[in-house]
Amino acid sequence: MNYKELIDKLSDQTGNTKTRTKELLGDTITVLSEQLSRGSGVSIPDLGTFSTKVNEERKVYNPHYDAYIMVPPKRVVEFSPAAGLKEKVKYLEPGDE
Amino acid sequence: MSEKITFKELVELISKQSNQSQNSANSFIHELVEIIEGGLKNSGSVSISGFGKFELRWMNERTGTNPQTGEEIIIPGQNKVIFKPYKALREDVNKPFATLKSTVLTDTEQPAVPEEDKSEAVKEDKTTIPFIAAKTKQVRRSTLSVDELLIEHENPHFPEPDPFSAVPESEEDESKPTPSALPDEEKVAKEVQEAGTFNWSYAAAAIIALIAFIILFFMFQRMGDSPAPATTDQTEQVITPITPDAIPETEPSEPPEPQPPEPQTELETVNYTVEPGESLWTIAESSLGNPYLWPIIYQLNGDLISNPNQLPAVSDIDIPVISDPDNLTEFEREQVALGYFALYEWNRQNNPDEARFFLWAVGVFSPDLLEQPPSEVDPNDLAFALNR
Repeated sequence: MNYKELIDKLSDQTGNTKTRTKELLGDTITVLSEQLSRGSGVSIPDLGTFSTKVNEERKVYNPHYDAYIMVPPKRVVEFSPAAGLKEKVKYLEPGDE
Repeated sequence: MSEKITFKELVELISKQSNQSQNSANSFIHELVEIIEGGLKNSGSVSISGFGKFELRWMNERTGTNPQTGEEIIIPGQNKVIFKPYKALREDVNKPFATLKSTVLTDTEQPAVPEEDKSEAVKEDKTTIPFIAAKTKQVRRSTLSVDELLIEHENPHFPEPDPFSAVPESEEDESKPTPSALPDEEKVAKEVQEAGTFNWSYAAAAIIALIAFIILFFMFQRMGDSPAPATTDQTEQVITPITPDAIPETEPSEPPEPQPPEPQTELETVNYTVEPGESLWTIAESSLGNPYLWPIIYQLNGDLISNPNQLPAVSDIDIPVISDPDNLTEFEREQVALGYFALYEWNRQNNPDEARFFLWAVGVFSPDLLEQPPSEVDPNDLAFALNR
């Protein structure tokens, strides 16, 4: 499902116009990103928990340079799905996708 | 870092942000969740622009151990929900570390090297211009005839040296150039990182291709002229069987008679701007119609391209106009052969093991040129090229 289909469905269900739905979704995303970039986790019932984690700096070998390279630390988003959601999609056939 | 806001707080924040009641914000999120769930079930993925993409990924059955009893158990195949953040979110989240760059370590034992040393090391290592990540042509499976087998021998050597391509913008790399000192070094260091993240798979593919080639080579030698070793399990073969070899098949039967009435003396050329991600091979493929003609571009731009494996990105090069790539004129063939000859000389200096294959290609395009090489060639290489 792409963004457009998502907006279509969402506006159908909430009875808002598409423009308004886009705004609302945009605001939701803004808040979520803000929280995540502050480093705090956000959990949404029935969907899952978003959190961040820091990947420590590490040394990797780069064959092109024949040298080791220090990759700096990086903070990334983690998502762990809610138990309910996990169970619901667990045994869908891969072909259904 | 590990703090967490409650759902209630989240709803409050959202309602404030979007000027709506907490009730409606709450129900909005629930609707959203429901739709995401429905989307996952129906189409397997839900993309929210500016945020990320939820996807189902099928995990195959595997064995695991019960951590309590130590028993082996079979974990059945199942779907996993994964979330891939898009670039905007990744950058937002990584802001505190965005200015950090990866650095080359000169001494592998030393975890960190002083700033200047590192930059210098990078400079020494590669001072080249906008850089170029190694990229081997995709390997692909094919069934082979004897003829094709021959071609397969040669193949690894053509795609390998050339398809190094200009650096593609890295999706992963969110580092923004800081206007601080040492911009050059930083750039190089960044390139290093890009090359690092990108090359692994290509390098692996290249190695596999090379191994396949070596095996093939020996098998072929042993088999001599026996019919197609269809039994050989070529798991990975490099590249297309459309080849320059097909052309000489037709030509040598009617030697130099069908020359064009007016012998050309110069190739018609047009200007071409190299885009990031392109290599001589890809340019030849898209512009000339036959990737194996790429040496002709190298030949035409010898002053600009010092290393055929590294094409400076965003440079203007001349490419020839070839009307019919399947039916080259005598002059065009000679130019391609000259290109291969230039490559042969380059490889003799830089890659002596594979140079002879380029000499062989010279003969494929222009047997005359092989008999009277423009400059000295190694007798062993010549014997190899002539015997093919």
